[in-house]
Amino acid sequence: MKKWMVLILICSVFFIGFSQTCFATEKKLKAGFIYVGPVGDYGWSHAHDLGRKYAEKKLPWLETVYVESVAEADSARIIDRLIQQQKCDVVFTTSFGYMEDTIAAGTRYPDKIFMHCSGFKRSDNVGTYFGDLYQMYYLNGIMAGALTKTNKIGYVAAFPIPELIRHIDAYALGIKAANPKARLNVKWTYAWYGPDKAKEAAEALISEGCDALAFTEDTPSVVEVGQSHTEKGQQIYTFSHYSPMQPYGVDSVVSGQLMNWGGMYVQILKDIHNKTWTNKDVWWLAKEKAAILGGSKTEIINPKFIKPLKAAMIDTKEFGKISAYELVIKRYGQMKKGVDVFDPFTGPISDNQGNLKIKPGEKASKADLLGIMYYVDNVKGSIPE
Amino acid sequence: MEDIIISTLQRAMVAGTPLLLATTGEIICERSGILNLGVEGVMAIGAVIAFIVTMITGHPWLGVVAAMAAGMAISVIHAFASITLKANQVVSGLALTMLGLGLSGLIGKPYVGKPLLIKMEDLNLPWLSDIPWLGKILFSQGPFFYLAIALALASWFFLEKTRLGIQVRSTGENPKATETQGINVTMVRYLSVIIGGGFSALAGAHLSISYSKSWIEGMTAGRGWIAIALTIFALWNPGRAIWAAFLFGGIFVVQYLLQPLGISPNFLAMLPYIATLFILLLISFKDPKKLNAPAMLGEPYNRGER
Repeated sequence: MKKWMVLILICSVFFIGFSQTCFATEKKLKAGFIYVGPVGDYGWSHAHDLGRKYAEKKLPWLETVYVESVAEADSARIIDRLIQQQKCDVVFTTSFGYMEDTIAAGTRYPDKIFMHCSGFKRSDNVGTYFGDLYQMYYLNGIMAGALTKTNKIGYVAAFPIPELIRHIDAYALGIKAANPKARLNVKWTYAWYGPDKAKEAAEALISEGCDALAFTEDTPSVVEVGQSHTEKGQQIYTFSHYSPMQPYGVDSVVSGQLMNWGGMYVQILKDIHNKTWTNKDVWWLAKEKAAILGGSKTEIINPKFIKPLKAAMIDTKEFGKISAYELVIKRYGQMKKGVDVFDPFTGPISDNQGNLKIKPGEKASKADLLGIMYYVDNVKGSIPE
Repeated sequence: MEDIIISTLQRAMVAGTPLLLATTGEIICERSGILNLGVEGVMAIGAVIAFIVTMITGHPWLGVVAAMAAGMAISVIHAFASITLKANQVVSGLALTMLGLGLSGLIGKPYVGKPLLIKMEDLNLPWLSDIPWLGKILFSQGPFFYLAIALALASWFFLEKTRLGIQVRSTGENPKATETQGINVTMVRYLSVIIGGGFSALAGAHLSISYSKSWIEGMTAGRGWIAIALTIFALWNPGRAIWAAFLFGGIFVVQYLLQPLGISPNFLAMLPYIATLFILLLISFKDPKKLNAPAMLGEPYNRGER
């Protein structure tokens, strides 16, 4: 054997040994993230990715990888890849449609931990987590109800799943609190990311007379439609979704809902790292500062609309006659204290078929909210099958 | 009710604009005897290039020019394969679609989902936009709409009324006779394919910088295929293509108005594609002689062959 070959052999053995001791001393926790949309979108996946980056910055022992734009049918394959090739210790699956594949992966890899976002199925090593915005939709609803001139309010929705029905109902309950005469119209696009569809759905709602629009879709399309109508002299009020979209509709965006996943990811990963993790559902709202009111990062309500909101007076049982603006601020304050202080889903609540769903004085349980599949009484139409 | 009708017609014009642009391009191309099934791919290339250039420079019209240049460049592949190499045009066109969709996905990856902050203002034509009904529907639209109408009318005039147009048409009907007139068949066909590609790319540019104002892989959503069907539906006449395209634009937008009737939204979303199948079925019952299809459509031309 040539001398140089021996030398290379010695070197490589040395390096392998060295690198292994290195890994042994500094074992990092590796987390994989699966996103349903592109990380550059202006909604859901973008917000999750901000959370991932925040956690990686906060936790020195954390290493993360992500895969974006994963179709729901492809998730099993991507989970396998993250576990087998990337050697992830924990995988976060961030779309409702990944639920079955996540549960199946849990049985396939019993020594790994899986966290599924927005689902309701758990097993020994599969947990669920969610940050919900329904309280913010309620506050948006109060503003929409106070501002509308036509008493027709619109909602552009993606898919008929409990999460969206909860948001639609919370928005409708807010509208009812401010303006019992107003009715909510819903259009479905069947796309989390569908700017052209959301645009046409918003235009259809406006043509039917709606002048205040909220939505669940990951682009500022609805906001842009509102802004362009407003510029042409027809004031349309819109509510930004998930990311600060006010810059896309400075004259149209009243407020909105913002989500901060960072804190939740840090908490979950800390629990896993400290071996205190259990599969119990993590459900964060305004109290945990996961759900935030506003269409921009700095203002909870666009200053342009504060005056009309202060002028709109509402009769309430709890506070007497106060302005819509004050009601929003007061309710937001209560929500930050927790659902025990105030929750939008407090009875009496009936569905739009006339059936009493929540008895007077009772509050909807978390299970009720997670499985909600009926429209409250001021929403028009029926949920598509 | 009036508002709903005006708004629906107005939106139909917007949704029909990319269909009209792509259909006009395909008509020019097919009139010269070349079948181009690559419309969908060229459209995707146009969409991604227009989006990237607009995002970087901030000038939408620069994006449009770049998109058209890219669309023309990529169409040369189909022209070379089907005219010079005399390859099967169906296969070559399909390859162009796959190439365009794949390539656009690749180069557009870093731009997926990013919203565009620029605006293409609607142009209110003086006087005309004040006409009740029609003013709102036809004369206060975005620049792409006027461009599409102007290009369709110009293409009709070009094909039917000019010397060059007759050369394009006769190339599609009888290339041998055309060549005996001293016309370069190869050249005419190359130019027709390339111009057609430019039109398709323009349609894509409308989708990404004016209609959706964002880019995502597969955003053309079959509109290129609908344009090919509309070419047949319009009987290879750009004038007829105008109303055919806006009829289909209407089918794209009307689905949201029909939702409250309780029809499944999933079914409504299929409407434009079902309508496409339906018109192709309808056309196939017609007497083929009256269809007015270019006689040599899809046939390679062998120079000097008897």
